[in-house]
Amino acid sequence: MKRLWKTIIVSALVLLTVFAVSGCGTTDENADTGGTTTLTFRIWDTAQKDGMEKIAQAYMEKNPNIKIEVQVTSWDEYWTKLEAGVTSGTAPDIFWMHPNEILEYADAGILADCSSIVDESHYSDNSINLASGSDGTLYGVPKDKDTVGLVYNKELFDAAGVSYPNADWTWDDLTAASEKIYDTTGKYGFMAYADEQLGYWNFVYQAGGYIVDTEAQKAGFEDEATKEALEFYINLQKNDWCPDQNYFAQTSPGDTFFSGNGAMFLEGDWNILSECENNPEMNGKWDVAVLPKCPNPVRGDGRASVSNGLCNATTADGKHKEEAMDFLEFLGSEEAQRIQGESGAAIPAYIGLEQTWVDVFKEKNYDIDVENFIEMFDYAVTSPIDKSRPSWKTAVNAQLLKIYSGSQTYEEGLQNMQDLVDQAMVGY
Amino acid sequence: MNSEAKWGYGLVAPTIIGLLILNIWPFIQTLILSFTNAKKFGSYDFVGLTNYVRMFQSTEFWQATWNSIYFCILTVPVGIILALLLAVFLNSKIKGKVVFRAIYFLPMVVAPVAVAMVWKWMFNSNYGIINDVLGLHIDWLTNPHLAIVSCAVVSIWSSVGYDAVLLLSGLQNVPKTLYEAADLDGATKIQQFFHVTLPMVSPTLFMVIIMRLMSSLKVYDIMYMMISESNPALLDTQSLMYLFYRESFVIGSKGYGSAIVVWTVVLIGIVTALQFWGQKKWVNYDV
Amino acid sequence: MNTNEISAEKTAPKLHSVKKSRNSGKIIIYILLGLGAVLMIFPFLWMLLTSFKTNAQAMQVPPTFFPTQWNFDSYAKALESLPFGNLYLNTGLMIVFRVLTTAAFCSMAGFAFAKLKFKGRNLLFSLILIQMMLPSQIFIIPQFQMLASLGLTNTIFALVFPGIVSAFGTFFLRQTYMGIPDELIEAAYLDGANTWQVFTKICFPLTKTALAAISIFTAVFAYTDLMWPLIANTDLNMMTLTSGLSTLNGQFTTNYPVLMAGSLLSMLPMVALYLVFQKQFIEGIAATGGK
Repeated sequence: MKRLWKTIIVSALVLLTVFAVSGCGTTDENADTGGTTTLTFRIWDTAQKDGMEKIAQAYMEKNPNIKIEVQVTSWDEYWTKLEAGVTSGTAPDIFWMHPNEILEYADAGILADCSSIVDESHYSDNSINLASGSDGTLYGVPKDKDTVGLVYNKELFDAAGVSYPNADWTWDDLTAASEKIYDTTGKYGFMAYADEQLGYWNFVYQAGGYIVDTEAQKAGFEDEATKEALEFYINLQKNDWCPDQNYFAQTSPGDTFFSGNGAMFLEGDWNILSECENNPEMNGKWDVAVLPKCPNPVRGDGRASVSNGLCNATTADGKHKEEAMDFLEFLGSEEAQRIQGESGAAIPAYIGLEQTWVDVFKEKNYDIDVENFIEMFDYAVTSPIDKSRPSWKTAVNAQLLKIYSGSQTYEEGLQNMQDLVDQAMVGY
Repeated sequence: MNSEAKWGYGLVAPTIIGLLILNIWPFIQTLILSFTNAKKFGSYDFVGLTNYVRMFQSTEFWQATWNSIYFCILTVPVGIILALLLAVFLNSKIKGKVVFRAIYFLPMVVAPVAVAMVWKWMFNSNYGIINDVLGLHIDWLTNPHLAIVSCAVVSIWSSVGYDAVLLLSGLQNVPKTLYEAADLDGATKIQQFFHVTLPMVSPTLFMVIIMRLMSSLKVYDIMYMMISESNPALLDTQSLMYLFYRESFVIGSKGYGSAIVVWTVVLIGIVTALQFWGQKKWVNYDV
Repeated sequence: MNTNEISAEKTAPKLHSVKKSRNSGKIIIYILLGLGAVLMIFPFLWMLLTSFKTNAQAMQVPPTFFPTQWNFDSYAKALESLPFGNLYLNTGLMIVFRVLTTAAFCSMAGFAFAKLKFKGRNLLFSLILIQMMLPSQIFIIPQFQMLASLGLTNTIFALVFPGIVSAFGTFFLRQTYMGIPDELIEAAYLDGANTWQVFTKICFPLTKTALAAISIFTAVFAYTDLMWPLIANTDLNMMTLTSGLSTLNGQFTTNYPVLMAGSLLSMLPMVALYLVFQKQFIEGIAATGGK
């Protein structure tokens, strides 16, 4: 009997020791020690951490009783963690919010209303839309904005004797150059990856089509312009100079490009800086141009570039809501937006500060024409996000892949995609 | 209650309580969730058997079930045989055991992220070293028939050292006297293996087989890292747990995903029950 | 000549041929082990060589084996990007605690399930089996919520928490204890030992090899656990090696040489740990000839 108790006590002691000794590693996230409030600021891009910390630094100098900790959680776990945090009351104080998710969060009442702390005159309609909920209220402070450009390898163009892409380029120039480059150098031309934002969405909008119409509650896959654009894009794969989707499932266009095996691909501005840093030997050998326009658009002038934008948000019932809202307001100020641009992290959403981002490349001696990204804001198209999208995104992609592999015709595929999305949208 | 029973309960208490709290309770939560239309942020509506009906009518689901079973067939027999051979070799009188053991142990201590990255790169049909050396262009990762085999190769590579360590501990409990007796009787090494080693190590072997079967049926990591969403071979490769991950976390249907988990557990239960029933035929507990 | 010498002559040729086949048997073993070792090691060689290449060269086609220029920056970059000191410490503490608790609790439960009779024993043991059948993904969110409600996220305890008990360890040790002859135990009881003494003095010492195996298993499982530390802890300084490493995977671009360098750096302590462990238990017991 005594021995039994001894076992229980020993077990309890072991547990207790584990508990106690490891408890010493606690960092109480929201410790209020002697008047200092600590706020956690969670982001997913490790390349932008420095930029965010500089902004936090500037804020902390003005507000010595606040301490801000920037935490990076990688994209794969970010949303699982955020949701788990929200449901258990341990969400970070300030966090990045993405248009893919904002509607769900905002409509469930999770996010705090930010209308009073943002001066909308400093932001484009695009930025405001991407930071709003379905009810049109602003639930985040716009952080950045982006466009998609055409990245190209100057050396391959030189070797093939093709002149570099310029503002007059159309889809036909794209294919012609690809052919010539492939014929002379044996390397791939334009790498048409079946991605949405960095792929076919741009072509669809350039032709005058659309992906989803939230108000009409339907998809745009039956639209004539959309169909034409998709047919063009999918058929690019039939050329020798374009890798097939089997290829892309294993090797990204970026990796192919930076190992010198492909001449062109679509890239977002948010990756350019780290690509410059990771590939110093290519400095001066590559550049970026505005997207080629559609030669015969069904509607519009043939120009479009999909533009997305993140925002910063906080929860509606956070422990330190007041302080978080104050920091959020600062994040939307000219000063913070300027710091963001100067760190090269991303293009500030704040109108007028785009040049700060461009200047970073000049300062670091990266010979690349990033102004072209800025130029495309003139005809940027808001990223077609809808609340129902997570539920049909994978199914639509699966249909697309079927078209690519030839297991269904593109008419069948587009019809399926249309039906899938329409049904899903009704459900929401 | 006599003293033996009291000790029994007392000694198992920490483990049982721990398992109930850490593992059984979450499973019950999953079970409940499978009967709901779970929405984000913890809210849900009860929908009865809807998820299960949908599941049993889905070709993707049945394909995933077959994929998981096929994956087991690919990995368990080969993996166990290799591990057993390895354990026997490492237990024999050869030089350099320490070095060999360290080498075979390496896959156990490298981060899964790195493993997947390296193997994915080696299997790359355009740039990978395997195709380069063979001089062929085989679509290891995108061919619907091959992709699952490639995953199986990585799985066996990662776990053979692991299983061998466990089997080794079983082997080392075999008394040397038995081997000496067999030697004197004129038995060859191979005969000794089948008549001395195998029966003596069967309890450990049984347990390693069970463990390997369970892991293979639950496989997810390897496939997640090697076969991406846009891979044409996805449907012919994805295991039940990969399907669960996609349904619950990518598409957002947590209720449906939970049903898939419940089914997976039932499947594993059936396979395990069969194993336990079969053990009476070949596992030898006498010392 | 006495009979012994005659028989010695007679047996001499037989011994010689037996020895020969033993040697050829050994050679086969060496060859097979060697081939297997090459297969095991090749990916690591690849990782090592890649860590010394530039990012562009790491992805070249046709793939180059050796870097044309030996670039040591990746290690510096990896060391900069991750707080390796903290990562080693956290991983180490997590492993040590988990190993201690599982060794203790699994031994206790394994012994009880194998050698003690009590009502409901089989039912309770089936709980162990059920746990082994459950996929670990379903544990993450509920365990996180438990920790959050205790306010213990972002701690070492959080890292240890899911691994305090082990169903597999219990199962494995039960198998081991079942292999201990009942006669030994009966003899101990006859000598006047009580249950606790039978456990600690007689049975427990006989499970050293199994304990070593379970400890290695627990350590490896803890070390390679990716998802849990990422969800439970928010501060990079409270991560483990494996989860910290995954943060090097940028959202869109990954620097392969840096990732490889980071992976190799994070492997070193585990390899060292194993070599120490291995010498203590497995080598030691093999030398004394097992049981």
